[in-house]
Amino acid sequence: MRFDHFEDMLRHWAETTPDAPALRYGARTVSFSQLFETVQQRAALLRKSHKTCLGLLSDGSLDCVTELFAANIAGMQIVMLDENAPSVLLRQLIQYTDVDLLWGDEDLVEELSPALTQGVENGSGKILFFTSGTTERAKAVILTDHSLCQSAWNGSAKLPLAPEDTLLCLLPLGHVFGFVCGLLWGLSCCACVALGRGARHYIDDCAYYKPTTISVVPLLLGFLMKQKLLNQELKLILVGAGDCPPALLEAAAAMGIRVSFGYGLTETSSGVAISVKGDPYAMEICPDDTITLAEDGEILIEAPTCMMQGYYKRPESTAEVLINGVFHTGDLGRFDEEGKLHITGRKKDILVLSDGTKIFLPEYEAAIAKALGTNEIAVILQNNKPLLIYSGEANEQDLNKALLPLMTELPRGQRLGGIRIIEEPLPRTATGKIKRWELQQKG
Amino acid sequence: MTRQDVIQEIKTVIFNCFPDMEGQELTEDTVINTETAIDSMGFVLVICKLEALFDIKIPERQWAKLSTLGDVADAIMKRLPKA
Repeated sequence: MRFDHFEDMLRHWAETTPDAPALRYGARTVSFSQLFETVQQRAALLRKSHKTCLGLLSDGSLDCVTELFAANIAGMQIVMLDENAPSVLLRQLIQYTDVDLLWGDEDLVEELSPALTQGVENGSGKILFFTSGTTERAKAVILTDHSLCQSAWNGSAKLPLAPEDTLLCLLPLGHVFGFVCGLLWGLSCCACVALGRGARHYIDDCAYYKPTTISVVPLLLGFLMKQKLLNQELKLILVGAGDCPPALLEAAAAMGIRVSFGYGLTETSSGVAISVKGDPYAMEICPDDTITLAEDGEILIEAPTCMMQGYYKRPESTAEVLINGVFHTGDLGRFDEEGKLHITGRKKDILVLSDGTKIFLPEYEAAIAKALGTNEIAVILQNNKPLLIYSGEANEQDLNKALLPLMTELPRGQRLGGIRIIEEPLPRTATGKIKRWELQQKG
Repeated sequence: MTRQDVIQEIKTVIFNCFPDMEGQELTEDTVINTETAIDSMGFVLVICKLEALFDIKIPERQWAKLSTLGDVADAIMKRLPKA
């Protein structure tokens, strides 16, 4: 069903199917009526606090989801923070986004509290997600509960779930794909959402919850399949947020599991195109969206119901990509004869990793160059991991040692997956830019 | 259990999880991401196996700080019951 706001969705199911299971987290199950009642009670308390902007150090738990819905209903701006991010980065993000209240692990909240701000005016309904970049370039994307609800409807119009379904939410809620396709998709269809119990339980959450549907990034799908962790009740896998090797999709399909592939961005509140049947890479456009291609093949999106309001406090950045209501994605694509969208590559200097995160190469390479004291480096993607190409005298051991502090600060998926030392200078254009494609071709 | 024993157990778990790595020289200073075939999901698998083996729990927030084999050994040693 299509809902305008989280509150409408929760109230509707609480009134029409009060006893249906809404959320499961470990041994705990709450029905829609219990969830709505708890959320309302908590929202009343939050209103009394007169706080305006909640930083949610999301752990994906039942209490976390309850707090999120309550804060939204209480009229607060919500900032989705990664509890595993380095503290120094979290402090910067808290200040940048005007957080005046934190929810999360007690010790972490205490550690970060000195960074709290005075709050924000007019934040009601806003939910801020960070683009999956690294450090300075991380931008907060302003979405709303309305845009997220529309996005969930957009996806479910193509891939509906039934009330009998259980959707396993394994992805972080701070990632918009995880939020919409791991949580809202299920709730908007009155399906039960089983909340993953953290990375430690990737190995047994499928067996524990016996879901009929999961949303995953390619890296996680590869892991679940390689370790034979998928349960026999599973009927549908939605893969998104990164390039996925065909062999992986074929292997899942060979197990009798329907596999769909989704394409979308944080800026469009998640998916705008999704494959429904046949070739998983041939995607139909979602009903609320219009996709065209620029002359150079860049994918342009009009998504009036799902589009971001902009980047938080970065109007110049917004103006660069959102022009007259059309979002310039930086992705390259083509349409087949049936009008289905295929993704063919990237236009920008960005590596999209199989865990759904992105690396902004100029910033990433600059940090590595600084750590090594040389500009004779480049980073390419190899086997879905960033590979450092280094031209110089140092050996691998010394390079690793010099890079260790930098790498330890990065999310594990964004750390270098290898180093290649070359004797010749890096190939460059006449203007000095590295010929990345040439390095990539050499493999 | 000594630190060397712990490192040996870590190596055994890694080789069990990633048989292709059998024979690769692993030392305390081996950087898990760049010097092994272990990706971020593989790291989760190794940590889960080690937690089960040593009957300990390393908080997920600490996982990101474990870059080398020696870091993993330190995290385990810190949580082992004192003899």
